Amino acid sequence: MLGAAGSGAQGQSGGEVPKRPLGRTGLQVSALGIGGYHLGSAKSDAEANQIINEALDAGVNFFDNAWEYHQGLSEERLGRALKGKRDRAVVMTKVCTHGRDKNAAMRQIEESLTRLQTDHLDLWQIHEVIYENDPDLIFAPNGAAEALLQARQQGKVRFLGFTGHKDPSIHLKMLSHNFPFDTVQMPLNCLDATFRSFETNVLPEVNRRGMAALGMKSLGGSGELVREGAVVATMGLRYAMSLPVAVTISGIDSLDVLHQNLEVARNFHPLSAAEMQAVRDACRFEAADGHLELFKTTKKYDGDIGREMHGFPSAAELPV
Amino acid sequence: MPNTNGDAIPLRPFGRHNVSISALGFGGHHLGDALDEGTAVRMVREAVDGGITFFDNCWEYHLGKSEAWMGAGLKGVRDRVFLMTKVCTHGRDKGLALRMLEESLRRLRTDHLDLWQVHGMGFENDPDLFIRKNGAAEALEQAKKEGKVRFVGFTGHKDPSVHLRMLATGFPFDSVQMPLNPFDSQFHSFEQRVLPELNRRDIAALGMKPICGHGDPVLKGILTAEEALRYAMSLPVTTTITGIDKPEILQQTLKVAQGFQPMPAPAMQSLRDRCRQSAADGRFELYKLSLKFDNPEARLAHRFPIDMQQAEVKEMLKMTENSGHPYPPAK
Repeated sequence: MLGAAGSGAQGQSGGEVPKRPLGRTGLQVSALGIGGYHLGSAKSDAEANQIINEALDAGVNFFDNAWEYHQGLSEERLGRALKGKRDRAVVMTKVCTHGRDKNAAMRQIEESLTRLQTDHLDLWQIHEVIYENDPDLIFAPNGAAEALLQARQQGKVRFLGFTGHKDPSIHLKMLSHNFPFDTVQMPLNCLDATFRSFETNVLPEVNRRGMAALGMKSLGGSGELVREGAVVATMGLRYAMSLPVAVTISGIDSLDVLHQNLEVARNFHPLSAAEMQAVRDACRFEAADGHLELFKTTKKYDGDIGREMHGFPSAAELPV
Repeated sequence: MPNTNGDAIPLRPFGRHNVSISALGFGGHHLGDALDEGTAVRMVREAVDGGITFFDNCWEYHLGKSEAWMGAGLKGVRDRVFLMTKVCTHGRDKGLALRMLEESLRRLRTDHLDLWQVHGMGFENDPDLFIRKNGAAEALEQAKKEGKVRFVGFTGHKDPSVHLRMLATGFPFDSVQMPLNPFDSQFHSFEQRVLPELNRRDIAALGMKPICGHGDPVLKGILTAEEALRYAMSLPVTTTITGIDKPEILQQTLKVAQGFQPMPAPAMQSLRDRCRQSAADGRFELYKLSLKFDNPEARLAHRFPIDMQQAEVKEMLKMTENSGHPYPPAK
């Protein structure tokens, strides 16, 4: 499952980004994926377009998104950039019911398909499963889980999954429903390894079930790990990509960041077990109180729609 | 003990010690929100006259204003109360803790505390930082030995597992403070996980946040302040500390506490049932899920972000505004 050197066409500055199996779906996905949130943060449509096209040319085929990112801008930018190239990409987006019912989910998928200019998604995931009662709400009669099955039956999506950044125990509660998820997305980085750890508590279970693990927040969500000196960016990304995951989704809001990450991803060689342990050990002190993994310990990364549905103050009222 | 309706506030034993304190405690944070010092002083006097003997405070509340106003209010009646304040090292060392103690004693106008607690144990490495060599644990021991404090404890509102790890350090705490309310009873629950352990060890359990801190579920009409307070006081605790920022709140609170009779078990259960749905995602317990209730001192010591809208951050900025003085103030 660990990445091997890429095969196929050589890019100008090295090899292609290697592909890995997406669990048991039969799809092959690039070990580096492009995060959808940051596509909406890029300073222009043109730059977002160029990020996507250069990534495709380097062998990146996995594109993340969500219905609620930047009120649709992230999906629109991806849809425009993939026009005519849809078949080269594995397109994922997320449904943002946050406890609402199946109908809300089915309305969202139509909007997502329109914005993404496609008639089907390769992967549709339930977004931001972070509140403790989310699994109960998702699996309640007429809940989001039913929408996932219906959309698949209608051919609107090929594969199903869920995401969340808060607490491994919530992920495990989702898995305990034995729903046929194909993928599970979670934060994975060298600090997570020793603090409320998805790597320790969730990743082995996902692999045991033959599902594809999707990593995110390799540098803390907004580069916190790098900014505070816990790890350099390239090593942080290498650590995350060396875990037994199908893809590491990285937020890329500029060509500079894309080029830096492609340097790591082309001809990717995983760290050895001893090297990974050394990285974990070096980060242990910074990891211990969660001040660089704010998505676990504060409200900072919790979206406004989810907060509203759960009766929490908005990000403007309660930033952290 | 004089009071307004003829019934005294019950006294309860403070853990394993031969000391009793009132079943209702006066919270120090809200005292600093009173209209002015005169109002605060009057409220403290009325509380003492109404039978409250337990007074809570903390070095970092309103940058010392809460302690100063309580000290003014207790002038002449200090010996009638059991006075607690908290030390705010947030992982920092013994020397800092002992300097904070001197400031607290001066502001509170007393030569000793009845109880000194380590404030805000909530971040996951707090127990390690507390018990480390030259950590706050050594300050607690030294202050006790020097007679500056009679008893020691710790507080926190974040996570029952952090409380349990504090207990696992083996340090001989006399008291432990935690949020206790009908929402807590079914979400990341201190009532279920910490309270029985304290009772088993004969450590005084101090409840706080009976109406969830700022009373959000009361404002939303899920339960009344009186129901919430009665629920918290009916648990096996020594006292329930509640925030009192206005004279009319004091009168309401005294009315519940004077002649207090615990709620029957079925009434407690029906209150839990009423709160179940909104307890399930923690929306009314933001102290467990966000930094909202974490003082900027705690956040800065742990390098978490501060919130410019938080009252205490504004107070910090005001303190240094155009003064050329740094924060924290130089010693």
